[in-house]
Amino acid sequence: MDVVIQIIASGLTLGAMYAVSTVGLSLVYGSLNMLNMAHGALLALGGYICFYSMTVLGLPALVGVGAAVVICGLVGLLIYVLTAAPMLGAPQFETGVFIATIGFGAVIENVILRTFGPQPQPQSLQVPGDIVIGHVHIPNQNLLILAVALGLMAAMALLLKRSRLGRAIRATAQNREAAQLMGVRVGRIYAAVLALSGGLAAISGIMVSSLYSLLPNMGGDPMLKAFIICIVAGLGNVTGAVISAIALGLLEATAQYNLGVQYSFALLLFLVIVVLIWRPYGLFGRKQVVRL
Amino acid sequence: MAGALLKLDAISAGYHGQDVLRGLSLAIAEGELVAIVGPNGHGKSTLLRAISGLVRLSRGAIELGGRRLDRLRPDQIVAAGVVHVPQGDLLFPEMTVLENLQMGAYLPAASARLAERLEEVYALLPKLKERRDQVASTLSGGERRMAGIGRGLMADARLLLLDEPSLGLAPIIIDQIYEVIMALKRSGRTILLVEESAARVADKADRIHLLDHGEFVWAGAGSELMARPEILATYLGS
Repeated sequence: MDVVIQIIASGLTLGAMYAVSTVGLSLVYGSLNMLNMAHGALLALGGYICFYSMTVLGLPALVGVGAAVVICGLVGLLIYVLTAAPMLGAPQFETGVFIATIGFGAVIENVILRTFGPQPQPQSLQVPGDIVIGHVHIPNQNLLILAVALGLMAAMALLLKRSRLGRAIRATAQNREAAQLMGVRVGRIYAAVLALSGGLAAISGIMVSSLYSLLPNMGGDPMLKAFIICIVAGLGNVTGAVISAIALGLLEATAQYNLGVQYSFALLLFLVIVVLIWRPYGLFGRKQVVRL
Repeated sequence: MAGALLKLDAISAGYHGQDVLRGLSLAIAEGELVAIVGPNGHGKSTLLRAISGLVRLSRGAIELGGRRLDRLRPDQIVAAGVVHVPQGDLLFPEMTVLENLQMGAYLPAASARLAERLEEVYALLPKLKERRDQVASTLSGGERRMAGIGRGLMADARLLLLDEPSLGLAPIIIDQIYEVIMALKRSGRTILLVEESAARVADKADRIHLLDHGEFVWAGAGSELMARPEILATYLGS
């Protein structure tokens, strides 16, 4: 029983972290058909800004998190202005923006490397203590991550479902031209989506770095997993991304316990292959017919 | 035409540097229902897309109530009072009927009167009220078209552009759609309608313009057009 509790606790924490990271990616792809390869660098940037605010500037944790969210949101906006906006409507938009964001991510990572150096740093935002269920100690840090992730997902669901901005984001994702004909200024919606995704990446980066450590390239692994989750869920499907992230977190924790850490990533990749063969449009995606 | 609501002045527009519309001029007075008919692929939809700002003009000017439209973005053109119900309705498939209607009133002026606009649309299209919580992708073809028109009405536009509202529908549904369009005309709406079939709009439109290869080749009353079989045969093959 203790093993099951341990796996569920670890799996939910992993899944919650993945969900926050994946929702941002999925939102951007769903709205713009854009794979934002700078997303991982935004995670690292968020983690470092929080670290800098708390450790160097001595600011409270909430201010550190707020600063990370705002700055990463602004960098997300900058990604839109410098990479996506000039290419909107271009015939090879998806390929062009894919390459451009790889470059943008490399710039961010190298700025972090020059500023903070290559050595790992501990994230300052740590919640001490744990709770005991059965014989299992669950760190409060993990519980905080889970609670924050659930709160964020609920806020995102409310934003997308109930707000004017959320409806405009969904409308633009479902049919850009029809949204324009309703009076939606799609450029602003795209910019808002990139900014929102940047803010989510910052929180995800703080979560990841609080469990592991800060490194300039720390966003690579979570971004790769977020892509895997996006593909499994169906690119652009935000609800599917959250469900898939939690499920894959639990699966990864189970695999790590039963097979060993070295096999868990291989298992995720195997799962992607199976899903792509069985449902090429993802578990929650919709089949699309493209007329050539 | 003095005091025209919509005025097209020798407009040309197209795609990838190739003009599809060639020097079209047209004026529509307030409360008129004007139909553009012509074969497929001759620029009818492009004309509506040019008015709503989805296609840029290469020459000419478009005015609505004396205000230049052709330099505005599509969202600014909607705010100026032009609503385009595109071919195939282009509903938001994963939204409910109500959410689609809410999107029709996206701009602040319309959203401030959302409840009132919804009641007006439901009064004209009662089926939409029954289906308001249904996801748009699960509607029948006729219901989708009704929802598209209803969404277009939510903005309380000065000019309604309807692109082939009968396309792909059964005759009984087409009759229902045209009953709604005629009710809109009776209520004083200004409508620019595109159709492939002249017979369908001959007794409904105040004027018909025949569009061929991006140029108007004939204009007049529907009854005049139906009395000219040589024109129908030459341009519409009927």
